[in-house]
Amino acid sequence: MRKGYLLERVLYTLLIFMVVVTLNFFIPRIGVEDPAQRYYPPQGNMSDTEYNIIKQLTKKQYGFDVSPWEQYLRYLSGLTRGDLGTSLQPGSPKVATLIAQRLPWTLVLSVSNMVICVTLGLILGTSAAWRRGSVVDRALMNASTVMTALPSFFLALVFSLYMGFEWGWFPAYTEPDMVASFDFSWRAIVQVARNAALPVIAMSIGGIISYGQGTRNSVIAVSQEDFITTARAKGMSTRTVKYRHVLRNALLPIVTSLGMSVSGLIGGSVVIEQIFNWNGMGTLFLTANNTNDYPLMMGIMLFLSAFALVANLITDLIYSLIDPRVTVGGSRS
Amino acid sequence: MKRVHRSPNLLQKVWQHPQGKLGLVLVCLLVITALAAPLIAPFDPYDVTQRAEKGLSPSLTHLLGTSISTGQDIFSMLVYGTRVSLLVGVVTGLSTMFLGAFMGILAGYGGRLWDTLIMRVVDVMLVIPTLPLTIVLTNLFGKSYGMIIFIFTIFGWVGLARVIRSQVLVLKNSNYIKAAQLAGASKLYVMFQHILPGVSHLLIMSTALTSAGIMVAEAGLSFLGLGDPTAISWGKMLAEAQSGGALLFGHWWWIMAPGIGIFISVFAFMRVGLALEEVFNPRMKRSGALIRLFKSMNSSYIQQIFDDMEERGIPQIEDAMERGTV
Repeated sequence: MRKGYLLERVLYTLLIFMVVVTLNFFIPRIGVEDPAQRYYPPQGNMSDTEYNIIKQLTKKQYGFDVSPWEQYLRYLSGLTRGDLGTSLQPGSPKVATLIAQRLPWTLVLSVSNMVICVTLGLILGTSAAWRRGSVVDRALMNASTVMTALPSFFLALVFSLYMGFEWGWFPAYTEPDMVASFDFSWRAIVQVARNAALPVIAMSIGGIISYGQGTRNSVIAVSQEDFITTARAKGMSTRTVKYRHVLRNALLPIVTSLGMSVSGLIGGSVVIEQIFNWNGMGTLFLTANNTNDYPLMMGIMLFLSAFALVANLITDLIYSLIDPRVTVGGSRS
Repeated sequence: MKRVHRSPNLLQKVWQHPQGKLGLVLVCLLVITALAAPLIAPFDPYDVTQRAEKGLSPSLTHLLGTSISTGQDIFSMLVYGTRVSLLVGVVTGLSTMFLGAFMGILAGYGGRLWDTLIMRVVDVMLVIPTLPLTIVLTNLFGKSYGMIIFIFTIFGWVGLARVIRSQVLVLKNSNYIKAAQLAGASKLYVMFQHILPGVSHLLIMSTALTSAGIMVAEAGLSFLGLGDPTAISWGKMLAEAQSGGALLFGHWWWIMAPGIGIFISVFAFMRVGLALEEVFNPRMKRSGALIRLFKSMNSSYIQQIFDDMEERGIPQIEDAMERGTV
């Protein structure tokens, strides 16, 4: 890997991050000028001086007592210390604490979703590519057009209706004691798995098919390359050619797509979490939105963007390690 | 007598395509349903004054039963929901096309400064989590479909602009553009007379597929309660079914009706888009250049992968796209 390439990528990522931080700071504030009016509207029996005091105090508490630029600088200096701000929820919890509480639960859903998508997608895709025109192949190609038109939240509702309510296979809503009583015992782990079953199934069906299709196309493309013909001509066994030559090269695009999907790992399950009342980042964000808790919204968005940026950067770097041609042409875009 | 052979126009070509025909028929049916909704719907879907009994099962009077919470006729709601879905989908498809074409051509042909500027904006847009920001913006600026169309457009042009830009970069080096430049044509003239026609096929295809993608996105947003609260949309119907106890009482028709509505409209526009793709470029049989674009509305990463691969000049991908998926 060229040193210049690495440096360039890191600097560029930092630049984009600064832009995102700035947008993040200003966008949620467009509607909010005076937190006091929003959160503590004046009541009938309140005197003007009393209300003024309340206003001053709230302004100070939420950091509105200085100009927006000072607020922005304050926010930035807070960020350098890892302080994402303070939520407006009762008890004024730290945004970072709230995110840390919810993040593992979202990761339970999204990581198992990703593992299932990649594993089944690879198996389906390679078996379709190696037996072109077979039942698996045709089913995969037809399913991909159908599945893109079916939103995952609709699937989630259907699964919840049948597998949850009608047949009672899995909990249709997250059991309320799941989070509170989680203690890393086998019983708790099994409970989480049962509760995660429906959301994960609903999320992964589309992904399995799109990974499957991607793998299939990639395997077919690679097996038509000249070096595969050469390998066969040299008398290698079909098995060796398949696993050593075709699959290894066909996996390159899959690695990138994996890296790209890591960036959507946390933010991608908002609707699904809402349907199953799952205790993750998605429901946290929706609550923040419904209660106008803009420090929390900002914090979550910043976290998601930073996560996406880092994931993209790492994918880029890993890719340039796997495939040295990447850095030859200098920077991308 | 010699027959004059006229080459068929675009619509005829799509019609002759088996998949395109299905898509066109469905699109026509949807448009008719949306326009003639008051004639087709047997009841007033906005009627929540409980004239009908609540929670009825499907019958001849109420084809899809009535809602458990308010006694609204579900079939009538389904019919009226077509309006929102089509309106938001098609209008966003068109506005995204205009903005994407403008930005893409400007980046590709407007000079280095514009190119850098626009591509940097694209890079930022790709990092910001789309759904959360959309939620924040609808909350801030009011829940109306005008606003939703605006926000979807602001996010939607990014993918299209990248596709258009790379096509413009190819066109820029072609001889007829160089000839026009040598003949003294102004930049603006070349843009409108030569570049725009050169990318128009991409624009037409993308409009169909963007519309399809936006319909899914709109349904999701309405499902979260972020659509116009006064209008009936399929996403909102699903949310009402869930909160109204359709799951609990096993009223599967209440869930299936809007779901199938979403499916048919998205499917129809996708079919038309894919048929257009094959009509424009028969070599690229289902290459997925536009499936990519469509998916970018749902998950931009697939788009990114292919763009990245193209930029990096990785041979397998370009070959695969040339050959199509076979």
